[in-house]
This record gives sequence, structure tokens and C-alpha cells, in this order.
Amino acid sequence: MPDYDAIVIGAGLGGLTTASLLSKNGFKTLVLEQSDIIGGCCSTYESQGYKFDVGASIVEILHPMERFFELMGKRREDYIELLPCDPIYSFITEDGRRFSYPTDIDETTRVIESIAPEDVEGWKRFSSLGFEMIDRMMDAMMLSPMKTIPEAMRMVIKNPEAMRFLPLLMRTHQAVTRKYYRNPVIQSSVAFQSYFAGAPPEIGSGIFGFIALTEHLGIYYPRGGMISIPEGIARAGSEHGLEVRTGCKVEKILLEGRRARGVLLEDGSEITSDLVVSNVNAKVAYLKMVGPENLPRWAVKAISSYRHSMPCPMIYVGLDTKPDLEAHHTVVTGSIESMNKVWNDYYTKDLIPSTAMSLICWPTEADPSLAPEGHHILNFLCNAPAPYAPLGDNWDRLKGWYREEAIKSLEKVVLPGIRDHITYMEISTPLDFERRLLSPQGSIYGLFSDMTSLALFRPHARSRVIDGLYLTGSSTHLGGGVPTTIASGIITSGYVLKDRG
Amino acid sequence: MKNLKKALLLAGLLGAVAAYFAADESTRRYIAHIGKQVPYLPYRYFI
Ligand SMILES: Cc1cc2nc3c(=O)[nH]c(=O)nc-3n(C[C@H](O)[C@H](O)[C@H](O)COP(=O)(O)OP(=O)(O)OC[C@H]3O[C@@H](n4cnc5c(N)ncnc54)[C@H](O)[C@@H]3O)c2cc1C
Repeated sequence: MPDYDAIVIGAGLGGLTTASLLSKNGFKTLVLEQSDIIGGCCSTYESQGYKFDVGASIVEILHPMERFFELMGKRREDYIELLPCDPIYSFITEDGRRFSYPTDIDETTRVIESIAPEDVEGWKRFSSLGFEMIDRMMDAMMLSPMKTIPEAMRMVIKNPEAMRFLPLLMRTHQAVTRKYYRNPVIQSSVAFQSYFAGAPPEIGSGIFGFIALTEHLGIYYPRGGMISIPEGIARAGSEHGLEVRTGCKVEKILLEGRRARGVLLEDGSEITSDLVVSNVNAKVAYLKMVGPENLPRWAVKAISSYRHSMPCPMIYVGLDTKPDLEAHHTVVTGSIESMNKVWNDYYTKDLIPSTAMSLICWPTEADPSLAPEGHHILNFLCNAPAPYAPLGDNWDRLKGWYREEAIKSLEKVVLPGIRDHITYMEISTPLDFERRLLSPQGSIYGLFSDMTSLALFRPHARSRVIDGLYLTGSSTHLGGGVPTTIASGIITSGYVLKDRG
Repeated sequence: MKNLKKALLLAGLLGAVAAYFAADESTRRYIAHIGKQVPYLPYRYFI
């Protein structure tokens, strides 16, 4: 008799969503998390009275989260309190110009009109097509399995409008942006979101061009920090018997032939179950935990062909003063050309760019309780993306220099003399991300995402080579992101219930 | 019939090469990027 009906490796959003839904459906489920805290990239840690978010800093597109609670038979509001953040972003352009996009569409139209009257028409066309796509397709695209041709066809037959939006998938983010906007400032304010999916505008899929629009449905910060999302999901699961163990690193997936039979932990103990769900990077799951010796050659070739998504250093700052910012997120961007240049001339050549996209998040604006009274927090993504292995150097050695660069950037953008107000500063380099989350090469969204590695071409949530092995999280379905990984958990649990329910 | 197929294939190939050289730098990089991934797609579909 196996110890559990299901074992989930990793307490990221995908893992916890799958596990909670399985518990709700009567599976005796155990989640094993190597870190001391749950949530993976969507988590929060405490230090010196401050609560810093490890990675994710905002949630948008609430459909998957609401759907999860609906499937659990519960109300999201009873588990996670979401605070709306308005304006969505404040922008600082290369020449120092500042402006903000509010959530309200009409107000946004006025902002665009004040910067580039010639783009108002494009913005109206962009938003009308985008909202139509969101209304008709969002649930279907996010929550339908789309890993096989029959699944994709079923989705299209159920939602014939999908054919109209399909060309967007084939185009690049920059092509979609340039189709609707002419002004370079407006273009860059819509194009930088390409990096939210982990690719430069000239490679990222055009479908992500509409992230800039989904944000107008509202962006939210969970009270208590981003960890409140995984905590809420886990709490909903624990009411159905879900067990979560932290500080438990899984070394291997145990097999009997090509069938999963449990896991081997770092301390040498074994836990058995004939159903194992991996929430870790799919390359790690297949090539390290299962092992290439247990896979057919074509599968080793398939999984080895994926690249990891980009890494990017995060800087956590505590301040004893209020920063001079206007929004939860402040973005410092350049032109589309400069965004592509950072990728082609720096990132892919293992060089650290000196000017690139920076994102300053100010969570204490939404939730002051994250810092001691009168203090504030900034989570700073400085000059993204940055290589995992900087040419001829090493992140551990570069930390001091990087810290100084980050302070200089903050002095320029947030507050002159901010150095004197910094009470806490920690830098999480790609190496630190790898150590903290066991995320290979510090990749922040699992596998690289473009049209050749999403949906049909991303690893299947139901393994086709190991019976009883399922995958969830950013290495599957639609890639990284809070909504997409919760959606992947819903899809993975759907496969399990179909197979074993 | 066989010759027609060959001619069509050749025309398609020439068309693709011409499109590549007519494209701007950025589009060329995109085509090269996708081109490098294409051989893996059948494997990725099945994993
Ligand atoms: C810097 C950064 C900023 C981001 N910003 C946003 C944002 O603002 N909005 C948004 O929507 N998304 C954002 N994302 C993306 C989003 O946070 C992630 O895509 C999502 O949280 C990933 O969920 P996941 O299910 O893939 O699991 P992960 O978060 O990858 O978690 C996997 C878990 O597995 C554990 N694990 C790994 N190996 C083992 C092992 N051997 N044994 C046991 N446990 C193991 C890890 O410790 C981890 O907890 C951001 C990500 C990062 C890194």
C-alpha cells in the first residue's frame, strides 16, 4: 500500500493548486518543498522587520485564481485579500520623462493623447480587439488543455473566434506593438511587457502584446505580501487534508520500469505513491530526478532542446523614508531597439547590460504593514535581463559592484541621496536564485517561452514517457506568471482526475 | 507531376530565401531564431 495517493514535488503555485484540488477530490496528498517557506517565486520572506517578496510583485488576470476557489467550493475573499493598485505603472523614459497609466480606459486615452495624439486611434483599435479577445477567449485560452492537436482543435471548435486571434500568436510582440502605435514612447510602454514573458520584443509572442491591456482589468497586491496567494491556496487544500512539508528536498523520482512509484528524499528516506506531480523545472524533473537512463532517446533530445528562461537579479531595499514614486510599479524603459539590443548584444553574449529595463516595485504603497512604521520597501529588478554566468566573472564576486550600480540607479530615479535612507539591502543574483529555489541557472519562468515552446510545444502535464508522472507550473502550458501557473495546476489536476478520479 | 512538385519546392525555398534577405535585421534574427527551433518541434510536441 503506497504512503500517499499523490506526492507533489515543490510548493510553487502550480504544485499547491494541483495538490489542493486533488485533496478536495479525496486524494491523500503530500507536498514536499525543499525551502523553509512555500510559494517558490511567489513568496515573501521576513528580515529585520521587513517583508520582501522573493520574485512576483503583482497579480493580474484573476480568472484562474477565482476558478480555483470555485472548484474548491470556497470564496477567494475568505482566503486572499487583494488590494487594487492604481495607476498600473509609472514610466520613466530614456530622456527622463515621467507619466503613468491609470486603470481606467478613458483616462488612459487622455494620457496617450497628451503624449502622442497620433496614437489614440491605434490605442482604441488595440483595446477594442484586445477586450473582445479577453471576453471571448481568456477562460478558454488559459484554462483549456492545449498540448495535443486534438485538444487544441477541441478548444477551437468550442470557441471558433479563436481563429481570429490565432495570427497574434504567430506574430512577434514588437510587430503587434508597431501595428497599433507609431510614437516610440508609447511603443516602448507597451513593448517592455515582452520581458514579463522572458523574451525581447523581437522574439516574444504577439499574444503577450495584450498583457498591456489585461492590466486595465486591474492589477492587485495581496495583503500580507505575495506569499498570501500560495498560503491561501494551501489553506484551502489543508481543509481537505492536504499535507505540506517544508525543508524536504526530493532527489529522485523512484521508478518501477517506466512507472513512478514515489520519491527519494535528500536524507535517504523514501515516500511511496504511484502518482507523482512535479512542480520543479521540467528539465530537472526529467534529466535529474527521473534520469536520462530511464528515458527513451527521443525524450532526452526533446527535453534537452529547451532553454531555460532568463535570470535576473532582484534587489530588496528597506528605507526609513517614503520614496518619491507614483505607483506600485515604476518602469524605466528605452526604445524597442534598445530592448532588443540588450538581449542581442549583452544577454546572449553573457555580458551585464548597463542600461536595460528596470522595474521598481513599492509594495508598502498598497500594504504599509510590510515594513515598520514610517519605513518602506522597494523590490528592485535592476537592468533585466542579466546573464547567469557573466563573461570572465562570477555573481558572488560582482555583488558589491552591482549593489553600487543599483544604488546609483535608485538615486537617479527614486530619490537623490537615497543612500542615506537605506536601512536594509540584499541582492539576490541569478546564483542566489538558483540556490534558494533550486531553479537551474536562476531562470525566473522555468523554460524559455516563445511560439516554439508554449502550449503544443511545452512539456505535457501528463508525462507521455513515465506512467504516473504529471507536471505542473511554469514549465508547462502557458509558461511563467501567477495566473498561468495557477491555471496549469487546474489543468494538471484535471488530467489526474480524468485518469484516476 | 514529380517535376512540378520539385519546381514548387524550389520556388518555395527561393521565396523563403528572398523574404529573408528582403527583411530588416530584426526580422532576420527572428527568422533565424525560429529556424533553429523548428527541428525540435516534433520532439517537443511528444514530450
Ligand atoms: C523575479 C520574478 C518576478 C516575477 N514577477 C511576476 C509578477 O509580478 N507577476 C506574475 O504574475 N508573475 C511573476 N513572476 C512569475 C511567477 O512568480 C512564477 O511564474 C510562478 O510563481 C511560478 O510558479 P511555479 O508553479 O512554476 O513554481 P515555482 O515558483 O517555480 O516553485 C517551484 C518550487 O519547487 C521547489 N523545489 C525545487 N526543487 C525542489 C526539490 N528538489 N525538492 C522539493 N522542492 C523543490 C522550489 O523551492 C519552489 O518552491 C515572477 C517571477 C520571478 C522569479
